[in-house]
Amino acid sequence: AMIKAILIFNNHGKPRLTKFYVHYAEDLQQQIIRETFQLVSKRDDNVCNFLEGGTLIGGQDYRLIYRHYATLYFVFCVDSSESELGILDLIQVFVETLDKSFENVCELDLIFHVDKVHSILNELVMGGMVLETNMSEILSRFEEQQKLEKSEAGFSTAPARAVSAVKDMNLPQKIKDMKMPDMPHFSSLYQ
Amino acid sequence: MALVRVKGVLDHVLDKNLQDLVRGIRNHKDTEGKYISECIEEIKQELKQESLVVKANAINKLVYLQMLGYDISWAGFNIVEVMSSPKFTFKRIGYLAASQSFHDGTDVIMLTTNLVRKDLNSTNTYDAGVALSSLSCFMTGDLAHDLANDIMVLMTSTKPYLRKKAVLLMYKVFLRFPDSLKPAFGRLKEKLEDPDPGVQSAAVNVICELARKNPQNYLSLAPLFFKLMTTSTNNWVLIKIIKLFGALIPLEPRLGKKLIEPLTNLIHSTSAMSLLYECINTVIAVLISISSGLQNHATSVQLCVQKLQILIEDSDQNLKYLGLLAMTKILKTHPKSVQAHKELIMQCLDDKDESIRLRALSLLYGMVSKKNLMEIVKKLIVHMEKAEGAHYRDELLSKIIGICSQNDYRFITNFEWYVSVLVELAAHKGMKPAQGRAIANQLLDVAIRVQQVRRFAARQMSLLLRNHTFDKQRGGGGSAGLVEVLYAAAWICGEFAVCLAGDEESEDARRATLEAMSLPYVLQLPGEVQAVFVHNQVKLYANLLLAESDAEERVALTTELLTRLEQFVHSEDLEVQERAVCAHQLLKCTAKALRQAAASKTAAIFDVGDVATEDGAGSTAEADGDAVIDRVAKELSGLFAGELNPVAPKAQRKVPLPEGLDLDAWINEPPAPPKSEFDEPVKRKSGKSSGRKKEPEAAVSATVGASASGATNYSSSDPTVAWGGASGGGFEQKEYH
Repeated sequence: AMIKAILIFNNHGKPRLTKFYVHYAEDLQQQIIRETFQLVSKRDDNVCNFLEGGTLIGGQDYRLIYRHYATLYFVFCVDSSESELGILDLIQVFVETLDKSFENVCELDLIFHVDKVHSILNELVMGGMVLETNMSEILSRFEEQQKLEKSEAGFSTAPARAVSAVKDMNLPQKIKDMKMPDMPHFSSLYQ
Repeated sequence: MALVRVKGVLDHVLDKNLQDLVRGIRNHKDTEGKYISECIEEIKQELKQESLVVKANAINKLVYLQMLGYDISWAGFNIVEVMSSPKFTFKRIGYLAASQSFHDGTDVIMLTTNLVRKDLNSTNTYDAGVALSSLSCFMTGDLAHDLANDIMVLMTSTKPYLRKKAVLLMYKVFLRFPDSLKPAFGRLKEKLEDPDPGVQSAAVNVICELARKNPQNYLSLAPLFFKLMTTSTNNWVLIKIIKLFGALIPLEPRLGKKLIEPLTNLIHSTSAMSLLYECINTVIAVLISISSGLQNHATSVQLCVQKLQILIEDSDQNLKYLGLLAMTKILKTHPKSVQAHKELIMQCLDDKDESIRLRALSLLYGMVSKKNLMEIVKKLIVHMEKAEGAHYRDELLSKIIGICSQNDYRFITNFEWYVSVLVELAAHKGMKPAQGRAIANQLLDVAIRVQQVRRFAARQMSLLLRNHTFDKQRGGGGSAGLVEVLYAAAWICGEFAVCLAGDEESEDARRATLEAMSLPYVLQLPGEVQAVFVHNQVKLYANLLLAESDAEERVALTTELLTRLEQFVHSEDLEVQERAVCAHQLLKCTAKALRQAAASKTAAIFDVGDVATEDGAGSTAEADGDAVIDRVAKELSGLFAGELNPVAPKAQRKVPLPEGLDLDAWINEPPAPPKSEFDEPVKRKSGKSSGRKKEPEAAVSATVGASASGATNYSSSDPTVAWGGASGGGFEQKEYH
């Protein structure tokens, strides 16, 4: 694969999304996440976004390309066939798509709806190869699939939805889960 | 077994969904492990239900738990069940779980073939879509074999979305089922001109990947890619194509020459940094592959270096990094162009970004000159002191040694300075053996080859032996790297012991060094190092013996060393033991001879009778004694006489054979051969004309020959390698409907 893995984790190293395009056993996956977090969290905010890879996932031909947005790190582990600046832009596209899909996305959205994040990611990258870079195309595909799911949600899932709605009215929890500040918006830097 | 209340259908409505699970885990921060175990138990119960709704929900939760590190392969069968759901909502969950947890060893994969095929051929676009995406993550050889046709059909679907995904998926199919490439290639090539840009992009992507692995086979596509490059406006496509050209250029220099112009135009016109950078990279690749002769060269090199300078000067660290990365490539073939930007690169050495410092470091090789070597090394040493990461510190050390020793020390004007640098480096705490060895090798190399620096080097090494902090008693933590340096120190002091003798500038250091070499800590050192210590003590001693004039002193010196060597005589290490014992015996003989000579001297003092000597010169027994002692001392140091010079590895080949020596002639007549069925001598092309019998060799040749003719041919069966030419002619295109 050209992209070996895509990882999203927060400032404390907790994984928010993990996608490995090469098979690793679960404990090795966790090790990789920890090592990548250690490498990336040491970096200042105004240094370059490229890291010669770690020992577990890295190797001669691999590089870590990452971006830090508020409380989240988005890390792509790629090989030399990828354009470094191109991947940085791709991360930006990914984040902006998340932003549009979740309406001012924040970490909590990723925490509670990681399945949706996977759906979006699947429209960008497939099997470690870049599938689509046009944001409106990605967004419209995702929204169509969301619509399809909504239309399928008929009688059989109504009770479940009702229960969810009731659960969602759990106010103390709502206060606890108050959304955090907006993520900064970046205009596309390299394209 | 605790009785669990069986949940009814409606009860399952209250099952935790993904959000509940996540919330629950967040609320059980202190008992997370236990809470999750309970949730997994619930999930297991849910998976026993008939309802796909319930199962899908359970699998959705499992995907989340997999991210936290839990193995979910035990639910493989259930995942397949959910994948086969008629509803997209649940199907998607199943496929996601499959893409996250299925791999080559997953046995339930064989159950998926038919359901995946059904989804691929579904009229619902997104059913096919998730199947294609997910399959790219768990493609096996069997699936590739069974589904290749179905995927190929999708490459010509009316829906561009599916064409795009199918094209990309074919790459995974090719990887696992190489035979599928031939029939599919024509269609793949067609997709390069697909009206939909996404599909086109995917096709470019796949072909670029294939070409990276086997560039030779895709050279014939170059004209097509050239056309695409000049017509496309999609930067991603352009980048892929330009990178592809970078891989093809080494194989076809004419291609490179054609590319210079369009690439230069792109460099001037594009506003996309990513594209600009890739163009520069490829132009560099062209310049490297073309042999000099074209006038355009100078301007192209200039253009690249100029653009790279702009990148490096940019405040954006990313551009700086990439600029330095590309400069490194130019350095190899056009070092002078890079040297012009020396100042800029030196500045990067001070950058707070470690990635950038590392890049600047690798450029240093081309930057160094006699004038700036010392300044650069000083800067690097300062960095070493401040360095936080071990990796960075090791890089620095290797670089310092690298730039100093490159081209046979071409840039070193003062070797004493270099030796001091090495000594300073050796003092670093926590040095690893590899680094220590590098320093040791340098010390040895310099001391051996540069005669003028020997005195300085030997004295420095003597100081090192006497003052270093390896000895734990002196409070230093033993550094593994330092041990390697001590090896060199001991050797240098022994080999160049004469340099340690006292002169106008400094006093005699030999005795002190000798003592330092047999301190108790030496027994803790590794065997190879101890052996060197032992051997070089003897060398030092021999030198001292020669220099010492007083007979009593000489005896004392000998007996002292004898005592000190005793601690090595019983070493567990064989080499150390052997050397120590040999030295011990040698010294015992020497001591005996010295004592006898000294005794006869003393006797002679009291006995005034004339003793006739052999040479009849009338010398007294006292002089006799001295002569004996001198001779002993000379013979002992004769053991270590002569300079050891480094020998080039290929030197042996240059040594001519002495006259009359025939290496092929038998030394003795061979014994009579045993009677065996391999009595026939084998015919030899270059038969040597001697009457020797060849039976034993014949036996060997016959068996080798037999097995060679029966051996199978192991040539590659990879059709992507064997197949030459992508023009479409020469192989059949089968229709798969």
